[in-house]
Amino acid sequence: MSLIYRFEIYPDIHHLEGSATREKSLKDWIAQYENREIKNIWEIKYFQIEAEQPIANILTIAREVFTDSVVEVMISSLELEQSSQIDLWLEKKNFQKPCLIDISFRPGVTDNSALASLEALHCIPELKTISMKVSSGMMIYIESTHPMISLQLEGLAYEKFANKLLHKVTITTHSELSHKKRLQNLTFPAVSIIAEKAKVINLDVEISQLEKMNNDNCWALSLDEIQFIQSYYKKLSRSPTDVEMEVIAQSWSEHCKHKIFSSEITYSESQLPPGVKSIGEFTVKGIFKNFIRGATLKIQEERKIPWLISIFHDNAGIVRFDDVLDICIKVETHNSPSALDPYGGALTGILGVNRDILGVGLGAKPIANTNVFCLAENQYFEENKISIPLLLKNPDRIKEGVHLGVQDGGNKSGIPTVNGAFVFDRDFVGKPLVFCGTVGVIPQVENGKVTHEKGQRPGDLIVMAGGRIGKDGIHGATFSSMELVDGVPTSVVQIGDPITQKRLGDFLIEARTLGLFNSVTDNGAGGLSSSVGEMSQLTNGAHVDLEKALIKYPGLSPFELMVSESQERMTFSVAPKKIKLFLDLAHKRSVEASVIGEFNNSGFLSIFYEGESVGNIDLHFLHESLLPMKLKSHFDPTHMAPHWIKQTIKKPRLPLKAQKFDLEKILLELFRSPNIRSHENYIRRYDHEVKAATIVKPFTGTKEVGFSAPSDAGVIWMKPHGGGADNSIAIACGLCPKVSKFDTYLMAEYAVDEAVRNAICVGANPDEMVLVDNYCWPDPISSARNPDAEYKLAQLVRASKALYDISLDYGMPFVSGKDSMKNDFIGINEFQETIKISVPPTLLVTALGRVPSISMIRTSEIKKESELLYLIGENLIQFQSAFELGELYEDYQVQYPLPQLNPKSQIEIYRKIHLALKDKLIESSHDISDGGLLLALAEKMMGTTLGIKISIDLPEKEWINFLFNESAGRILVTVNPKNQKAFEQILHGAPLMLLGETTSSGHLVVKSNRVEILNVSGVVCMKNYKCQVGEI
Amino acid sequence: MNRSNIKVLVLTGDGINCEEETANAFREHGVQPRIIHIQDLIEKPTLLTEAHILALPGGFSFGDEIGSGQILALKLKYSLGEALTTFIKDGKLIIGICNGFQALVRLGLLPKPFTQREMTLTHNRQGHFINRWVDLTIPQSKCVWTNTLYGLTINLPIRHGEGKIVFAGDKASQDKIYESLLEQGQIALTYKEDINGSSFKIAGVSDPSGRILGLMPHPEAATSEWLNPSGGEKSGQIGIGSKIFESGIQFCETNF
Repeated sequence: MSLIYRFEIYPDIHHLEGSATREKSLKDWIAQYENREIKNIWEIKYFQIEAEQPIANILTIAREVFTDSVVEVMISSLELEQSSQIDLWLEKKNFQKPCLIDISFRPGVTDNSALASLEALHCIPELKTISMKVSSGMMIYIESTHPMISLQLEGLAYEKFANKLLHKVTITTHSELSHKKRLQNLTFPAVSIIAEKAKVINLDVEISQLEKMNNDNCWALSLDEIQFIQSYYKKLSRSPTDVEMEVIAQSWSEHCKHKIFSSEITYSESQLPPGVKSIGEFTVKGIFKNFIRGATLKIQEERKIPWLISIFHDNAGIVRFDDVLDICIKVETHNSPSALDPYGGALTGILGVNRDILGVGLGAKPIANTNVFCLAENQYFEENKISIPLLLKNPDRIKEGVHLGVQDGGNKSGIPTVNGAFVFDRDFVGKPLVFCGTVGVIPQVENGKVTHEKGQRPGDLIVMAGGRIGKDGIHGATFSSMELVDGVPTSVVQIGDPITQKRLGDFLIEARTLGLFNSVTDNGAGGLSSSVGEMSQLTNGAHVDLEKALIKYPGLSPFELMVSESQERMTFSVAPKKIKLFLDLAHKRSVEASVIGEFNNSGFLSIFYEGESVGNIDLHFLHESLLPMKLKSHFDPTHMAPHWIKQTIKKPRLPLKAQKFDLEKILLELFRSPNIRSHENYIRRYDHEVKAATIVKPFTGTKEVGFSAPSDAGVIWMKPHGGGADNSIAIACGLCPKVSKFDTYLMAEYAVDEAVRNAICVGANPDEMVLVDNYCWPDPISSARNPDAEYKLAQLVRASKALYDISLDYGMPFVSGKDSMKNDFIGINEFQETIKISVPPTLLVTALGRVPSISMIRTSEIKKESELLYLIGENLIQFQSAFELGELYEDYQVQYPLPQLNPKSQIEIYRKIHLALKDKLIESSHDISDGGLLLALAEKMMGTTLGIKISIDLPEKEWINFLFNESAGRILVTVNPKNQKAFEQILHGAPLMLLGETTSSGHLVVKSNRVEILNVSGVVCMKNYKCQVGEI
Repeated sequence: MNRSNIKVLVLTGDGINCEEETANAFREHGVQPRIIHIQDLIEKPTLLTEAHILALPGGFSFGDEIGSGQILALKLKYSLGEALTTFIKDGKLIIGICNGFQALVRLGLLPKPFTQREMTLTHNRQGHFINRWVDLTIPQSKCVWTNTLYGLTINLPIRHGEGKIVFAGDKASQDKIYESLLEQGQIALTYKEDINGSSFKIAGVSDPSGRILGLMPHPEAATSEWLNPSGGEKSGQIGIGSKIFESGIQFCETNF
């Protein structure tokens, strides 16, 4: 009979007000989203210990471990008489009739607080050998102005504090609330599941039965694929085991295999709007092979680039932009998990991409993170009275969750988040896009070996290290290749454990330095089936004993052990003679590791469980046999499916003042719009300078204005990482999903150029720059539920062709990339109609470039008065491409033709700018993107107390075009007058316009034909830009 | 003693993040820091006997679960308690930055070693993590780590979620604790403005001897002006944060 102790941690009587800010923000949240007035709310953390026998001295120990004696006191199940204290405190906090919400973890869900507490308890000498379990939870005392019934409290708990997939919520209403009673009736979350034996799957059945099995087992295979497996096993004269079917399904999932990017696609087009580029009719045998890798190989050959070290075949791309270090980069998405559990999804997203870096070559060290969120905002739906479909989470809750996930993932791992973006669109309400990127470094040579090559050999032991295996994350890879519908199995959700991963990462680097392993890869999607499956390709075989893998709790079936995506695990290949050193070091570093098998050259992935064979898969069949799909695409913009929102959205008209456009009002309105306004309150919760190497941070400007102006790119110094003392790298991103509905070819060009342009602005060399592509697309495969798939596939082809064209013209290779192809939600709206919400086709481009000397790094804000202000780029007056104005005003529509980019001449402009930066002829540089020229000017100014005056001399009808049009390729710079001649000489041949100069006024003044048409202060611009920031 | 003989131990492991830059900050002043894993130090506590300075860098030791620095403090107390006591009694120097400061406080080494704890670091008033550069004033104090900066206002980054200093007891008791620190010259750094709700805007305190310093801002992330947050203030000059390490080293040169 086991014992349960419970310890609740309360602030002491003098510090009851310590959490006042948190309580106020909770009240505000509930008032805003639940329309309910809360009188009092109070969060209290608790811990429970389950032990076989009574633990001596437990009260003193628990008090030392769980409380901070200066400000906290503990109420425990061992001192029931003390519990009356709680009522006293509640009274002090003005509660009259509190109810209690108790939130604990469901059995088997990763509970980081509990794991850490267990370690803490084990620090105490007398507890070192005592076996016990710990759980943690949260109690919320709550009292609303109008009493709430249990069901309402439970609803609120799941809305704000808990997730049905992860937490158990227990409600105690005021009339039932007795502290003594609840401290006497304790339960401890326990997993009780029974392992199933591996079984044989009979595929010799009707098609309908095959399809049912496919659905029931979450294989997410196509009928063609199942029939292919069926005939393969027929030839072998046997049936597959469940383990084999799971391994095949994981390996062939869209997530792992990228079937759409490998398929043969025919493309045709019709009804092209004016200015939309025709790309002809053709068949492409693999978008990835031809357009992405194709471009890279061609560039590598044409430019004879020596710095592409490892591309496309490993977990991340590796380039040589330093004399000592190699630099690697990877960007991933974690959309579906983030839709289900925003916090856990984003946290495992960032930790997952960190592991990609840890698992590249012989293991690189992560030095910087990036993150881009594409989200919806609740405000939009509220203002326009649109109901969010059932089952979907409040988009603001998603925002809070994914943000906290990235924050915890990056901060706790000690990796600075140096660059990113927030992009908002109502169509991200169905699936949020969560992009997480990581840059890492690795010494070029170590222990006499090049580090970018993996070296697993037959005879090496397979070691799984880091986290243990549980049910979490089973079917993650197949799930992310499915649409999000109701009834998802809870196991697809995972919670990350940053401390376990941090130890694993530190250990990995130490073991690498000591030369203790030959190869490593991460356990991401597909778990062991993917990691061992991929690694065994190089040796051509592996033997796995599944029962040797460390598990979180008993009861896991063999197939679950094989495909579980429990986090923080990496698979190593260790030579037998080094295994002792390897395991000893792991133990010393508190990293759990177990030998689970051996690599061989049998040609098979042989899987055993307790001595019995549960799967034996021909590696050739697993990795090489799948034939590409054949798909058809047709680009005809008139064939778009109707939008899920039917109603027209009311917008105001462009504001006028004295019969002329009110430029100030428009500018400030732009500053407040979701895609432009500051998210500093979110971004400053990321640590962006741990490791002391971030030269250009997310914000810049002077101290007087709080360093609050936006930067264009992040710049990381190589010296602190052991690289060149004068060397640094720039990381920038670009994405423009708003352009997709006009033309995805242009969208892709804009995305590439935006990333490149941002990197150029801070000083990166255009001739030492690489790109990473991340596609997030709506489902482009035809089905009854997807009538406009051919159009979406054509959009994909066009975007990919654009990537090919522009990367060749820019001479910038792609070194890594990823695609996520099913970003749709199918659900029911308020009228009980089935609706589908697809994300706008989104392409994130990340640029990584070398800044050859740190002294040439420039930031966006103007630096001094009386400097010359130039526009490098076209004036665009003949276009109507102010996308952001189109979002804001009823009487403004973006129209074809849209401004085109000329990549061949654009790259020459960038080379010239880079030369000018090198010669120190530019004082500040800032890219023009969302909102157009006027907004970029204001941004340059408001980071300082200085001002800007420009003259435009245009008729009023062209003001809007000139000041607000958006396109690509344009940059604003300031130049010291003494350098004017040299600067203009270098820029000769580029479109260049001297707009005006900087002043000391603190105002942005625009004159047209000597009449002042705008005079706005930097303070006012900043105030509007930071309209939702509040206190940092 | 010559600075090249000064031995600095920089602790790492279990979620400590800032060991590299902390070691770099010492190294740039000509001393030889050694980054050491907690477990290795537990196995070989004599390393501590030989060292002159112990640095507890920033980070999220043990994921900041239970309370920031709490589990690290427990581990140090039960595994290295004796060696640490001797280290302090020998008059050696300790610097705890951010999470390291939190651990020193939880260990009871700050503000007064080997007495009842009466100060803690808890969640910022705002309830969340903050990364920003802030102005700090350096009052005259006993602290040997700040003595080259007395009277100056300096700009350093803060990066913490639990940096609010709180004293024990009721208002009168809290004021008394503060006054005692003030009198003893233990207030080493204060925020120029209220940043996180910290009592009396305190950002760093030392023990009564001035040799143990705990501070929330990160001087090791401001050792070069290239790292300054403003584009206009970047240069190849040494950053202001360096002075803190230089002061500690100078003290060792003179006193050991």
